[in-house]
Amino acid sequence: MDWLFFIEVSLAGIGAGSLYALTAIAFVLIYKATRVINLAIGEMLMVGAYLFFALGAGWSLSWWLAIPMALVGGGLLGMLLERGVIRPMLGENPISVFMVTIGLGSILVGTVELIWTSAPRSLPGFMPDEAIFIGEAFIAPNTFWGFVIAAVVIALFLLLFRFWRGGVALRATASDQGAAWAMGINVPAVYSLAWGLAGMIAAGSGILLGAMSGVSPEMAMFGLTVLVVVIVGGLDSVFGALLAGLLIGWMESVVGVYLGGEYEHLVTFILLMLVLLVRPWGLFGSHEIERL
Amino acid sequence: MKGKQILSAIAAVLALLLAAAMPALAEEKNDIVIGGSMPLTGPFAFAGIQFNRGLRDYMEWLNEQGGIEGRKVRYVAEDTGYEPDQSVAVFRRITSRENVSFYFGDSTAFHQTINRELDRRDIMMTGASFASELNDTERYPLQFMHGPDYSEQVAILLRHIAEEDPGARVAFIYSDTEFGRDPISAGRETAEELGLEVAARIVTPPGAADISSAALELRRARPDYAIFHGYILAPIPDFIRRARQMGMETRFMGTYYSMDQSIIDEMGEAADGFMGVMPYRYFYEEDAGESELMRAIHERNDEYQTIYYIQAWVAGSMMAQIARETLARGEPLKGSRMRASMEGLDEVDTGGVIGVPVRFRGNSLPVGRIYRADVEAGRMVPVSDWIDLD
Repeated sequence: MDWLFFIEVSLAGIGAGSLYALTAIAFVLIYKATRVINLAIGEMLMVGAYLFFALGAGWSLSWWLAIPMALVGGGLLGMLLERGVIRPMLGENPISVFMVTIGLGSILVGTVELIWTSAPRSLPGFMPDEAIFIGEAFIAPNTFWGFVIAAVVIALFLLLFRFWRGGVALRATASDQGAAWAMGINVPAVYSLAWGLAGMIAAGSGILLGAMSGVSPEMAMFGLTVLVVVIVGGLDSVFGALLAGLLIGWMESVVGVYLGGEYEHLVTFILLMLVLLVRPWGLFGSHEIERL
Repeated sequence: MKGKQILSAIAAVLALLLAAAMPALAEEKNDIVIGGSMPLTGPFAFAGIQFNRGLRDYMEWLNEQGGIEGRKVRYVAEDTGYEPDQSVAVFRRITSRENVSFYFGDSTAFHQTINRELDRRDIMMTGASFASELNDTERYPLQFMHGPDYSEQVAILLRHIAEEDPGARVAFIYSDTEFGRDPISAGRETAEELGLEVAARIVTPPGAADISSAALELRRARPDYAIFHGYILAPIPDFIRRARQMGMETRFMGTYYSMDQSIIDEMGEAADGFMGVMPYRYFYEEDAGESELMRAIHERNDEYQTIYYIQAWVAGSMMAQIARETLARGEPLKGSRMRASMEGLDEVDTGGVIGVPVRFRGNSLPVGRIYRADVEAGRMVPVSDWIDLD
């Protein structure tokens, strides 16, 4: 066996997995704070990428200006969706809310097609282009820098979640909404905060993803694998999302090379099935996760 | 009495309106109708909108030239969103209210699904799909392609490679979709027949975002040429960039749907040297004036028109030729009769958009030319003569 090649393939997989992990955190954040299974996460990611495309390519802004603006735009979109669509659904059957997020996804895709058409586009380059070597193992610069950025964002998020007042409010609301209300936490504001932060994270993932593979409305399909990641990791577990993201990224990469690309999704969905059979709440999720 | 007068007046007006409408109705009845299930929204809309414009403009131009044997041509189409069930619904709607002679389909799935219905209603069809499966006169007798099918497109590329670089190593990179898998097994056989070595077959899952590991696989195979199929844009730029970063000198090629000018516009520098097969002349080609159809396209358009727009003109031109031939034989414009006329054609009229005389082989026109992206010039330039597989 060519171990160097195996290491390269593994590193590529972990790089791809870091994007799954990052997007999965956005998903988990929404679920933890609001108990909403947001199937529009892939579409939110797509909108973030298109915002960067519009600002960076359409308005020709520098990437260091376009990226923060696209992130803010993604955050605002998250808050708008929460305030305008999700909050009025509070108290409704979870299936209804779940269906609403599917509808939201369609609306976002339709809106993007109306504004930018469905033609695939390339994002302006913003990552260094020099090949990266770890020892003798090659890593594509996009994958390497994508991993580094995702890792920094995840670390920042974990710190915020742990130490920032808003993060504490988020955790308190996630563990017991009633108690959080009683302690004076503004729960509706926490809802908005969760969706806003998730929108920003999803937009960031979209920009990183778009930098690798370009943007098109089809990139929303990425959300489907992210759904597998969060189910495997546990819908309400940040740690589970991180681990499952990296695991699935690595597994798809190794399977794709050694068995063939046609088996990548097959193996991913077999893993999903096994987890659902053995631990339906996911590897690290809480037992009380509601079955839909 | 007053009431009677009013009734008489209404009757007179109605009679006048009817009399005025009669010639129009009679005229419409005589029209040759071309129906279309068009993907004006959805993932294929970038091409669908151009097909629609192209067919509409061609029919308008044709009518200005006097139509077909004095009969006007009318184009009727509706949006499908690129959903096969919607395409079928549109087909049923249009064919139930119009006497359709030709139809333009939007996807391989639709071409397969609607085949029996075409036979039943005796309608002839062409469309966006170049699927090899459709190139079967027994199973799809009322369908034709206005270019080479996907296997033939790959064969044209391989023939070019074999001439330029005998014994070269070739890799196929394709998406794990019906579209992507279409030409691969035939391509392997053709490569072997031409003395080329197939160095790798690399499959990417549908909608794959990250192709890092597939790019490593490509590096391990180190092919002289890599042929992409089953993609429009992504992940082609990513593959090419990564190959360059890894110091590879592989030359990259694509099939029809990845060969529009937009590949240069979107890929930028990375597109330089990208080659592919194209059955039609590009809008900006210097010898475009040799083609009657290209001249007509230029008269109507000052700005660049996509290959899909030009493709629609070719499709329209072929429908018109088949209809003319059938009418000249004194036959009605029914699918089975038109099939017979189509088979009798010594040469297919593409209005010069395909640069050599062509004829049908099965349901396709197995001709194309290799073009290379010249980023400095900002356009696709031909690097081979027209290659006819016939």
